[in-house]
Amino acid sequence: MNTISQRFTHANTNDVANEINTVHDSLSHKQTLELAPSISVPPISQPTDFLRAHTDDASNPDCKIKIAHGTTTLAFRFQGGIIVAVDSRATAGNWIASQTVNKVIRINPFLLGTMAGGAADCQYWETWLGTQCRLHELREKERISVAAASKILSNLVYEYKGMGLSMGTMVCGHTKKEGPAIYYVDSDGTRLKGDLFCVGSGQTFAYGVLDSEYKWDLTVEEALYLGKRSILAATHRDAYSGGSINLYHINEQGWTYHGNHNVGDVFWDIRDQEQSFVNVDG
Amino acid sequence: MNHDPFQWGRPSNETYGAYNHQIANAGVPDNTTHASLDAFPKMHTQQPIITGTSVIASKFNNGIIMAADNVGSYGSLLRFSNIERLIKVGSETVVGLSGDVSDMQQIERILDELETSEEVYDNDGGDYLRAANVHEYLSRVMYNRRSKMNPLWNSIIVGGFYRDRTPFLKYVDLVGVTYSSSTIATGFGSHLAIPLLRNLIPEDKDYVKVDEQQITKVVEDSMRVLFYRDARSGDKYSQVIIKLDEEGKVVFEFTKEVKVENQSWRFAKDIRGYGSSQQ
Amino acid sequence: MQTTVASEYSNEIHSVPIEHRFNPYSDNGGTVLGIAGEDFAVLAGDTRQVEGYSIQSRYEPKIFDVGDNIVMTANGFAADGVALIDKFRQQLKWYKFDNFGGKLEIKSAARYIQHLLYGKRFFPYYVSTLIAGLDEEGKGAVYSYDPVGSYEREQCRAGGAAASLIMPFLDNQVNFKNQFIPGTDGKEKKPLKYLTLEEVIELVRDAFSSATERHIYVGDGLEIKIVTKDGVRTEYYPLKRD
Repeated sequence: MNTISQRFTHANTNDVANEINTVHDSLSHKQTLELAPSISVPPISQPTDFLRAHTDDASNPDCKIKIAHGTTTLAFRFQGGIIVAVDSRATAGNWIASQTVNKVIRINPFLLGTMAGGAADCQYWETWLGTQCRLHELREKERISVAAASKILSNLVYEYKGMGLSMGTMVCGHTKKEGPAIYYVDSDGTRLKGDLFCVGSGQTFAYGVLDSEYKWDLTVEEALYLGKRSILAATHRDAYSGGSINLYHINEQGWTYHGNHNVGDVFWDIRDQEQSFVNVDG
Repeated sequence: MNHDPFQWGRPSNETYGAYNHQIANAGVPDNTTHASLDAFPKMHTQQPIITGTSVIASKFNNGIIMAADNVGSYGSLLRFSNIERLIKVGSETVVGLSGDVSDMQQIERILDELETSEEVYDNDGGDYLRAANVHEYLSRVMYNRRSKMNPLWNSIIVGGFYRDRTPFLKYVDLVGVTYSSSTIATGFGSHLAIPLLRNLIPEDKDYVKVDEQQITKVVEDSMRVLFYRDARSGDKYSQVIIKLDEEGKVVFEFTKEVKVENQSWRFAKDIRGYGSSQQ
Repeated sequence: MQTTVASEYSNEIHSVPIEHRFNPYSDNGGTVLGIAGEDFAVLAGDTRQVEGYSIQSRYEPKIFDVGDNIVMTANGFAADGVALIDKFRQQLKWYKFDNFGGKLEIKSAARYIQHLLYGKRFFPYYVSTLIAGLDEEGKGAVYSYDPVGSYEREQCRAGGAAASLIMPFLDNQVNFKNQFIPGTDGKEKKPLKYLTLEEVIELVRDAFSSATERHIYVGDGLEIKIVTKDGVRTEYYPLKRD
């Protein structure tokens, strides 16, 4: 068949038929959920520039798509296990998108993940991490180690390095062979084991309190209070942190939830109790 | 990722380079050219070249009316004056296109193909292609193209009938945005003609109070006003009326080369502050 | 551009640089809000659609009954909103074929929508999405999303152009934020309680008529979809058309 006649038949090379087929294809296929998700990229030369141009509200407050960001989180190891404390504010530009965000993801009864950075990135990938951990458990007949879990996450985000993910997370848990362990994983691909981390825009304020009061020999009660107090300091001085404080304690029995504490109430309680924050009237 | 507490979690310039405002503001007219981009051949329509101006359309009590002039502009040059921008699709649907003429011709080919395959391959002897089908189809084509960053640079109005014989009028544009209304106009028409049309049909449901004669008059007026004030318009236009006759059968009236009549340029001398007359 | 992730456009030619003169997004205004009650949930939205300063349509509904007693809206860029809702509807159909017509619970629908949104993480849908319905216990549920899929179940949420006008009002009137029992000197908070459907409709109407007064992208009409165990019903109230 010559090329001219081909153009005007139902052959695959027919542009118009192609146009029609691509529309059909995009609609009529059943989409199945894969364990390894496929994420579409705009078909342009600089997809990362494109994404950033439309979503980076810090560089361009007028950008249209404002992605929710999360914000002060901390976790530390001590003689009684691990304390995890987080705030609950999500901001999209200057707009407080939510004051009730759940920034601790319960991966399984022994593993917690914290959320800072892009809310969707953290929520999505840590949920995904949960399925990976469960699969590990089913295949290996034993609970996944904190080291392995955090490595699954860091390997994953490293694949996407440079594409615009934003997450700073702590994978915290307790296993028999490791004891209590905390791994810091961020979207640059960094993965660090450590005793004490604060992550997010309010990290400096939290570090200030935590570092000055932290001792390995803290009792569980003291440690919970210190976690709460550190987040409180961050919510007080960092505009992007606030809402309420969620507290967790992890030991060999797994994690236990120690409640949601509204910053508005906790602040005055602590001020009266400690005689701190005396610069604030009220 | 930026680790500075003030910019925490945001993309850092060290990784991603400087923020590109040009992308964020793309689509906003800008005369500066990007040298590095111009080095590549342009494969996609990134700006319209030969363009057609407004299409205007409205429902009336037993049908729809649509009009578009015959000019094809090349920037400010009146390059062609014989471009037909209203396309009949199937037996009772009209598609009016404004924007890039080459993309319009591609859409014409797509609709042609659609009509053929509908007739030859998909027709099970029952139903046939209606305006709503054509519109849905075009909106998918348009959204698909925008998602590939390769848009068909047009605004489109589709007119015809629903299955129950009530008039159908709906819009779709280069990014895939759709809407329906009793009065629709693209381009300059949305500023100049819509007020005239909405004057006759203030609320969507009011089209039932308007007959063919009334609406034709207003469309005539609209085309005249557009000719007065839209510098890319012409005084010759095509008009389509799709209506039901007494027996309820569809009548498709395609009128070509309608002249803009009763022109009066007297208003021009009263214009102050612009042009040559200064007083 | 070589990427490590599969793309639905992976069969396209990637070696050709494309200019960025084309902006694939636009903003079609409008605002939406959802409130959950004890045994009902509502989703409401105005019916105006705009482009720049032009009102394209005064009646283009954006709250949809997607089936299985779930209502959904995706407000922002209208074409993305329609595409997202269409995609969800289509998948719901497949779910029914695969599961002998079983009901999709709202929490599953919510998680699925996260996947739809996150699937376009690098080319996001420019929408704020809300769904409303009843949970397994028959209690009202509203889920809200950011453009790339982070989500949360809430009692109430406003989205779209006038979200910043309506949300503070809702915090105060639905969750009784900063409301105290008179005579306690701001010490005792007003206890939370479920609002009745009548109270909720009144709140919604007040929210929208007020937003109409102060936001150019809001007006023309208010359409409310109400979900109860008996199904979905729609109410319409006119708004100012200026």
